[in-house]
Amino acid sequence: MHNATIEAPPTAESKPETTPTAKRPYPGALVVVEGIDGSGKSTQLYLLKRWLEIHGYRIHFTEWNSSPLVKSATRRGKQRRLLTPTTFSLLHAADFADRCERQIMPLLHGGYLVLADRYVYTAFARDGARGCSPHWLRNLYSFAPIPDITFYFRAPLDVAVNRIVAGRPKLKYYEAGMDLGISLDRAESFRIFQERILNNYDEMVETDNFVLMDGTVRVNKLQKLMRQIVGERIDLERYAPKRK
Amino acid sequence: MSKSEKSKAAAGNGKGKSKRDATKNGVTEVPSRFYGSPLPGVKPEELSGTLVVIEGTDGSGRSTQISLLTEWLESEGFAVQTMGLRRSYLVGEDIDGLLAENSVTRMTLALMYGTDFFDQLERRILPALRSGLIVLADRYIFTLIARAAVRGIGRDYLHGIYETALRPDLTFWLDVQPEVAFDREFKKSQTISYWESGRDMSLSNDLFQSFIRYQSMIKREFEYLSKRHGFIELDGEGSVSAVNAVLRKRIASHLGIRSTHYKPSHALSHLWR
Repeated sequence: MHNATIEAPPTAESKPETTPTAKRPYPGALVVVEGIDGSGKSTQLYLLKRWLEIHGYRIHFTEWNSSPLVKSATRRGKQRRLLTPTTFSLLHAADFADRCERQIMPLLHGGYLVLADRYVYTAFARDGARGCSPHWLRNLYSFAPIPDITFYFRAPLDVAVNRIVAGRPKLKYYEAGMDLGISLDRAESFRIFQERILNNYDEMVETDNFVLMDGTVRVNKLQKLMRQIVGERIDLERYAPKRK
Repeated sequence: MSKSEKSKAAAGNGKGKSKRDATKNGVTEVPSRFYGSPLPGVKPEELSGTLVVIEGTDGSGRSTQISLLTEWLESEGFAVQTMGLRRSYLVGEDIDGLLAENSVTRMTLALMYGTDFFDQLERRILPALRSGLIVLADRYIFTLIARAAVRGIGRDYLHGIYETALRPDLTFWLDVQPEVAFDREFKKSQTISYWESGRDMSLSNDLFQSFIRYQSMIKREFEYLSKRHGFIELDGEGSVSAVNAVLRKRIASHLGIRSTHYKPSHALSHLWR
């Protein structure tokens, strides 16, 4: 709210020095945010989306776990606590595949800038923390297009955990990693589970070219940096509204 | 017989991890119980039961043979558990719903079938095998791999998903010509289903042609899978009693049952053709 510095994204008229988008078999681009719960990633992606949306860019926002197709199965599995690490992972992969094949891929081919709140790295970090083999997970999601930018929002474990615990009356069973039998105390289990996920994310910074973002930086300052990086790495004018 | 066993052993040694697991105990000739690394939390040595898989297209007589084998094994004193496609509590009905809508994409469907498979494997089949039961699987990962592969999903990708699956003790393939499968299916239900004729693949507007082309593609995938995984190929066009006799013989020798004599009870006698 205190952030009044909304500059317009670069357009065809104000042509910036841009590095061309990496070679892809489609004209669209994919920007992803990742990080543990409470790292501030959703807030930042929301602000990026608003910035582009207000100026009329061809964008689409997508988030994890939103396909109606597998929602009933996910709900059933979670309610009755039937999910094993493998079925948990496969069900989420099916859900992601549905979104990938019916939303993300057509939009990329149709020349959209797609913004994704969580992507395959969430599965690598989370399902890996549940005991699925990294090799198996990498194969499972190998159909997913590689993002043009992956922002990794990193906040210290205590900061992130406190943000979540303070805002929620009760942590859910799977969310807290209770299925792993780490601890009978939900808050304790959540903390240990998130720590494992955080470690898995950290390991991917280099292997998957994450852009590391410090989640403790002030919101508007961090957003400014995020917009700058997007402007540098993506040829935004391709997604700009047509001017007469 | 020796040919299929040889190729089975070869498949086992082809995977680095299986080889390591197998040689760990000094028994190189026995392939690992898993294709790759076992499912998280599963100890292969606890699984004292036997997994017998019957594969084959619709109209190959799988279900009939499984009913008869169940009766025979039970009469011999073996407890039997069965599994099949879309029978999981977790997603079985959801897949039925997806199939009815025809709007699901190939990858989603493949992964939903994967979820269905592993839900049954982890929550029903592994506990049964730990208790020493005989599991008769009415189709297994091979049908799932074949169906997805003919729709353009990579074979390596599919084998990767199922590398944590349990390797069957015996895999039978009831091989029938697509034309024979068509006759049998049509006789049974007076129509041919959307998915069994591969209509999502736009092969032909003529339902018969579509069915034949689709089933021929599936058959080719099975020929490849049979070599890779050492199937025991049976002529599914033979009489029910003849096919059943071969199945009993192979299963009996695996389980150490001396007598393979069997005559179906009154309840199942209508299957005995």
